[in-house]
Amino acid sequence: MILALALTAAFLFGSGAYLLLKRDLIRVVAGVMLISQSALVTIIGSSLSRGDAPIAVQPGQTVSDPLPQALALTALVIGLATVALLLALVHRVIVVLHTAERDELAAGEAAHEAALEEQRQADLDEAR
Amino acid sequence: MLLSIAVLLPWVAGVLLVGLDGRRRVVGALAVAAVGATVAVLGLLLAKVLADGTQTVVTGNWPAGVGIVLRADPLAVTFGLLSVVVVLAATVHELIIGISERTFPGLVVLLAGALTGLFLTGDVFNFYVFFELAMTASYALTTYGGQRRQLQAALLFTAVNLLGSFIFLISVAGVYRVTGSLAMDAVRTHMAGVDPNAAILIATGFFVAFSVKLGLFPFHFWLPTAYAAILSGAVANIGTYGLLRFGAGIFPDQLRLAAVALIVLGAVSVIYGGVLAVARGDTAEMLAYSAIGQAGYVLVAIGVGGPVGLTAAVLYSIVNALNKALLFLGGALRGTFVAGAFAIGAFSVAGVPPMAGFVGKLEMFRASIVAGSVALVVLLIVGSALSLIYMFQVYQHQFWRGDQLATWASPLPLRLLVGILGLLVLAAGLWPEPLLAISSRAADALLLGRIG
Repeated sequence: MILALALTAAFLFGSGAYLLLKRDLIRVVAGVMLISQSALVTIIGSSLSRGDAPIAVQPGQTVSDPLPQALALTALVIGLATVALLLALVHRVIVVLHTAERDELAAGEAAHEAALEEQRQADLDEAR
Repeated sequence: MLLSIAVLLPWVAGVLLVGLDGRRRVVGALAVAAVGATVAVLGLLLAKVLADGTQTVVTGNWPAGVGIVLRADPLAVTFGLLSVVVVLAATVHELIIGISERTFPGLVVLLAGALTGLFLTGDVFNFYVFFELAMTASYALTTYGGQRRQLQAALLFTAVNLLGSFIFLISVAGVYRVTGSLAMDAVRTHMAGVDPNAAILIATGFFVAFSVKLGLFPFHFWLPTAYAAILSGAVANIGTYGLLRFGAGIFPDQLRLAAVALIVLGAVSVIYGGVLAVARGDTAEMLAYSAIGQAGYVLVAIGVGGPVGLTAAVLYSIVNALNKALLFLGGALRGTFVAGAFAIGAFSVAGVPPMAGFVGKLEMFRASIVAGSVALVVLLIVGSALSLIYMFQVYQHQFWRGDQLATWASPLPLRLLVGILGLLVLAAGLWPEPLLAISSRAADALLLGRIG
């Protein structure tokens, strides 16, 4: 793998991981997208051979390995589909819960915790 | 032939069913028929594999080495059959209570198809494609039910698992880089000559990806909000299968190197899952934390390794998937036999004879004794005691508490379904020989190098 590609993949992954930790859900989606791009760069970089033509090879010249390009295309389509699904989910969350902030989603979780606590108390009372 | 049908049948049926309105009963019935047919084909395939050995098909009649290889060995078919049976039970359950979303039947059949393909493929990249197909179907299925919490859970589940998938993809790229091949057989052969640093890095990538799916201790945080019967009984099998296939099958040296780390992580998962399951009051969440603990046992068994450890891992995963299906589907029901079936599941999780869980625990004990570790035996006992406590906490909560004792009983077909699952768990415990034989054949398939 060429150093430039390795650095690009690492940079994309790092930026993606940083965005994943953000509170805004749209940024989280962007983070997942960047990480998917990092995976693609890694696939391309994993077999890149300098100087070989990928298409339209002159007679007598060596051809670049076509397999990773096929892999990258497949992974690109899958990545597109899954990120679209994730965006649709985020959209649904915003429509239903009127928020795209993780803090406010966590508040809902806290309410659920409190309800569980009541349940446990009821179980204890029953046992006595 | 059978192998191609097993992969194609649910896939074609799923594509057709997605276009239809799943709320109509006939579409739901068609989905059950498609998944049922897949179970039948996989059953036949298992019989054939056990009789004649591993079956291989190169797709599209390409010469070997060019085409993608589909391969059925005992491990693959066992996991495929198990997962699709759980999917079938969950689909029948939904059909009886009434399907409320139009895409559900199609998605379930597609999930069955993706799981079958994933277990039966002999190619690392093809594995990724089926893996994403299965995960995409489960992302959509997590929202099923449509309540606010389910939506949040689905969001968390999707984001975390997408991250896991891309880490998997990066590791696949790494495998191609160092071995120049994607067929599992060739990768395994070439892996021996690879620079150990690169190999351990790639193996770690795969381990993280599968641990996220399985919900092992440091990767578990998404799991408790999102768990349901299909996820814990069928989709979590991907994680176990991946750890077995990639860990024991492709990276045996790296696995040996990391054995202690795996056992420690597994032990922490067992204790952590058990303690938190005791602390939760909610049935579904308790079962989810219990799943973390159960995944820990499998990891410990894989860490111990060798024929005994791997047999224990396979057997334990089979038993665990059946238990979880029974408990998730049975926990919300009322009426005659349901409490009994739930108790069978609860005893099975705790490993009380004569339930199937006892056989699983027995194999685990055997593996720990082979490993010669007192600490592991103690861990197993503590883990089992914890599971007995949390299972019967839930039993008390569900079936004994005054205000829960509704006068209504659940519909008879539902109770029959749970009853059948309960009998299956009981029967597997009373007559464990077939299960043991299949598990040891599956472990042998991994160890002898006939991977894929």
